Amino acid sequence: MTTDPTTQTLDQRGVTDDSQVEALFQEVRQQFDKQTINLPDDEIGWRMKRDAWLGRKAGVVTRITENWLKTAAPRLRPTVGRCLNDLRSHVEERLEQLHAAVVAAAGSAALARERVDLSLPGVTRPIGSRHLVQQTFEEIERIFLSLGFTVVEGPEIETPYYNFEALNIPEHHPARDTMDTFYLDVPPGSQPHLLRTHTSPMQVHTMEKQRPPVRIIVPGKVYRRDNPDATHSYMFHQVEGLAVDTDITFCEFKGTVEYFVREFLGSAAKTRLRPSYFPFTEPSVEVDASCFACMGRGCRLCKFSGWIELFGAGMVDPAVYGFVHYDATRVSGYAFGLGVDRLSQLKYGIDNLQLFFENDVRFLRQFP
Amino acid sequence: MKILYDWLKEFVAVPFAPGELRERLSLAGIAVEGVSETPAGPSLDLDLTINRPDCLGHYGVAREVAALGRSELPPLSVGLRESSDSAASVTDVEIASPDLCGRFTARVLRGVEVQPSPDWLRKRLEALGQASINNVVDATNYVMLELGHAMHAFDLDRLAERRIVVRRARAGEKIRTLDGVERTLSPEICVIADAARAVGIGGIMGGAETEIGFSTHNVLLESAWFDPVSIRRSSKALGLRTEASTRFERGADPEMAELASRRCAALICELAGGEALAGVVDVYPARREPLPLDLSRKELLRVMGASVPDAEIEAILGALGFAPRRADKTSGSPDSPLATWRCRQPSWRQDVTREVDLIEEVARHYGLEKFPPRLHPAKQPAARLPHAEAEDRLRERLIGLGYHEIVSIPLVNEAEDALFRPAGVTPARVANPLAEDASLLRSTGLVSMAHALAWNLNRGQHNLRLFEIGRAYRLQSGAPDEIRIATIGATGMASEQGVAESAREYGFADLKGDLDQIGNLAGGFDWNAETLAWQHPARAGRILLANAGLRRMEDGKGGQWFVTVGNTVVGSAGELAPRVADKFKLRQGVFLAEWALDPFYEGYGLARDDRKYQPISRFPAVERDFSLILSEGTSFASVRETIAALGIPEIFSIEAVDLFRGTNIPPGKFSLLVRITFQSQEATLTEAQLTDFSSRIISALERKLGATLRSV
Ligand SMILES: [Zn+2]
Repeated sequence: MTTDPTTQTLDQRGVTDDSQVEALFQEVRQQFDKQTINLPDDEIGWRMKRDAWLGRKAGVVTRITENWLKTAAPRLRPTVGRCLNDLRSHVEERLEQLHAAVVAAAGSAALARERVDLSLPGVTRPIGSRHLVQQTFEEIERIFLSLGFTVVEGPEIETPYYNFEALNIPEHHPARDTMDTFYLDVPPGSQPHLLRTHTSPMQVHTMEKQRPPVRIIVPGKVYRRDNPDATHSYMFHQVEGLAVDTDITFCEFKGTVEYFVREFLGSAAKTRLRPSYFPFTEPSVEVDASCFACMGRGCRLCKFSGWIELFGAGMVDPAVYGFVHYDATRVSGYAFGLGVDRLSQLKYGIDNLQLFFENDVRFLRQFP
Repeated sequence: MKILYDWLKEFVAVPFAPGELRERLSLAGIAVEGVSETPAGPSLDLDLTINRPDCLGHYGVAREVAALGRSELPPLSVGLRESSDSAASVTDVEIASPDLCGRFTARVLRGVEVQPSPDWLRKRLEALGQASINNVVDATNYVMLELGHAMHAFDLDRLAERRIVVRRARAGEKIRTLDGVERTLSPEICVIADAARAVGIGGIMGGAETEIGFSTHNVLLESAWFDPVSIRRSSKALGLRTEASTRFERGADPEMAELASRRCAALICELAGGEALAGVVDVYPARREPLPLDLSRKELLRVMGASVPDAEIEAILGALGFAPRRADKTSGSPDSPLATWRCRQPSWRQDVTREVDLIEEVARHYGLEKFPPRLHPAKQPAARLPHAEAEDRLRERLIGLGYHEIVSIPLVNEAEDALFRPAGVTPARVANPLAEDASLLRSTGLVSMAHALAWNLNRGQHNLRLFEIGRAYRLQSGAPDEIRIATIGATGMASEQGVAESAREYGFADLKGDLDQIGNLAGGFDWNAETLAWQHPARAGRILLANAGLRRMEDGKGGQWFVTVGNTVVGSAGELAPRVADKFKLRQGVFLAEWALDPFYEGYGLARDDRKYQPISRFPAVERDFSLILSEGTSFASVRETIAALGIPEIFSIEAVDLFRGTNIPPGKFSLLVRITFQSQEATLTEAQLTDFSSRIISALERKLGATLRSV
């Protein structure tokens, strides 16, 4: 068993020359290096190491100062002093390194415990949604407001006059076949009422109240007496449009409709007007858009025509002006009837109209 | 209507393959849904608009095809060998109701041999969806599909006195029609009769007793023209739609009656032998001169916004049979802005009666794609609906509170509606519903909401918050009334079990809290404890809106003030009564609320206009808690009012923060922890002030409410 050399003086160790001094210091240094190969477990472990080596009262460095330096023969003193300084700075430097490593290790352990699992869900407060039909209404409204159309609305329960007669659909007109109608059960002797089959009655109400220029859209619910299926419903939604002035022609109509289609379906959408027939417009058209499923090449959705029918429209039939006392030789204008549900179906690929009115939250949540 | 491509080619050169023809016709207004292959060659499926009965036959469609190439349709020439005996010597026609039947022609064919039709004929008929019957009947159907004119063949020998009387049916008169159904007629219906009885319903269907059979030798061929409105009315009254009624109710061509008859007679002779008697018995009370029509370039420009060259106008109108002639003084100069054309209405185009109709004819063949699109500047500012902003804020808030918007069909079951209907409301019933579940316009949105919740619960969706912004309907002294409403419905968990959260069921307090947040938009909801039949008797009430009673008044000097006329009940809210929940098979607690939107929107506007900045005090706020023992039935509102009545301006807020019953609380009492926040705009409150406030509050509560302070 060897005695700790630092507890003895150099004399006691029998050290007489510089090389022996250096060898002795080398031994101590190796001892230190051996003891500090491993990182102390924590701050306390490190402090014990530090105190063992640098402690003011009992540290190795202090002992060497006391036992070796202060008692060294004058000829050995410079070498002892130099070696002691080397040792001290070596020890200090290494301990400092160790301390930084101990602090870092402690920090990362704590962090590892506190680290949140980013893949765990947060606390979500439920957020609701706008109905898809409402979203489409708002989209249409936005587009037409930008073109100067004012929004109006009207009653869903109408008189036959406003729903039919004043729109140039007399009682025995075959066009009534395409608009099967729910009638209201009213007390005997009161005026007959029906559930409007389109939002077009507001054309008449508006023109009765207002002189040209007129530029309105009419969002609302409409009703048809059709048995419900994937494309029919007792109730669906329309946005009627009407513009009347002394300088509106088919070209303005076309520009407006094309603008709407591009805004609604995207700038790649092409528009095609196809002559058609409605009692309250003349000329009448169906507005088609290039099929966005096949980009016009032809597919099942577009019945291999490359085009999809969007809505009906046309120049207001002069007969309608007669009912509202407008001078048909001076004013002209256009009207359109957008099927909001149909447009939403097309835009979002919804194959069944009933989905809109079942209000299944698994459907509603898909359109936040 | 289906059209055979090869049949078209018998009348006109078709320079397009079927696929291109589909496109061309569609763009000229004759919509072709698709092209399909049949044993009789390619067929075009037309989706005709109701104004174009002239295209209910191949010949009419051929005219449109000709117009595509700007050429006129070659006239039909029908060779018919007639015998020396005249039809008039055998039969006689009388029209007793010229208002219903404008023309009746009768032709007689003698000695025909009724047989099955030859293959080529069967093939064409079947390709177009017509069953082959026998050569004579098939000939009438063939010519109908060819020329668009519906005809009928009678067994001449079965006609009493072999003559025809066209008249109104007698009330209660009966006829068995070709489909074997015995039908009772009324005087608005036009019948074809012989000397004794009705043998056919004019323009709709023939009678069974005079039907052509294999024993028939002599045929009377009817080709007539009936008033469209009368046909439509009769067809609806009888519930009987036929190929014939479809053609006549849309306006058939009266001039075609005779030509179609001649063509059909020739075909019968070809198929069934026999001889056609000379001439035709033709009674034509509705004969009239063709309607003159004028078209001016000025009007065309006014409607269409871009011009069309003279040559195109003339070629298109000419091809369609309008026989345009320049009728203005500038006829020497081409494309003159003053150009006008005098046209005449062809008998097959009764839908074209005005200049604007001619403009449409020109435009659709000229090509709508040739008119340049233009946007026109607005002359007036655009406005949204007056309540749009308030509705936006309401919808936003509901969504923020977690409610999903629903849209429901307002047609509901009457008995279910009655569960929610407030007393004294007359519901609006549908006179002709298609189903009992949709026989009434809802008198409240609650019935729709209950349905939407039930739908989802039945599909495993248990945590629901829904809202609807819609209308309720009712009759108000016989007249319909529509009321804007908002409805909300909630059930299930208010919060679900999660890693960082524990589960909690949605309860009345959630509904109350949500409604308070919503009410804030319109100046605040107030409550009273009255309950309606649908509501749970303990956890429900009516909603009042203070602002709804405010009326904005003008002072005549540009200023305004408000007059409060008291709180107004605007709706109701609470848990659904178990009795009603059972009816909808709702097996968990359901919370509903509904309120009228017109007063709410008005309240929104007033609250918004009223909003002013309140200075934020620079001095600290101090909270004091009061743990009160109160008698059961004492409301928080009465506590708050008692404290507020002290008029201490430093009271910033009064809140209820805890409610406790049970241990250490005497029976018949409960404990309420009230937190009052004091704050002054002028200075930091001193301990002496706070002590004074507290003792005044406690003594007021003791005096007014019998409250005692619980020792803490
Ligand atoms: Zn496609």
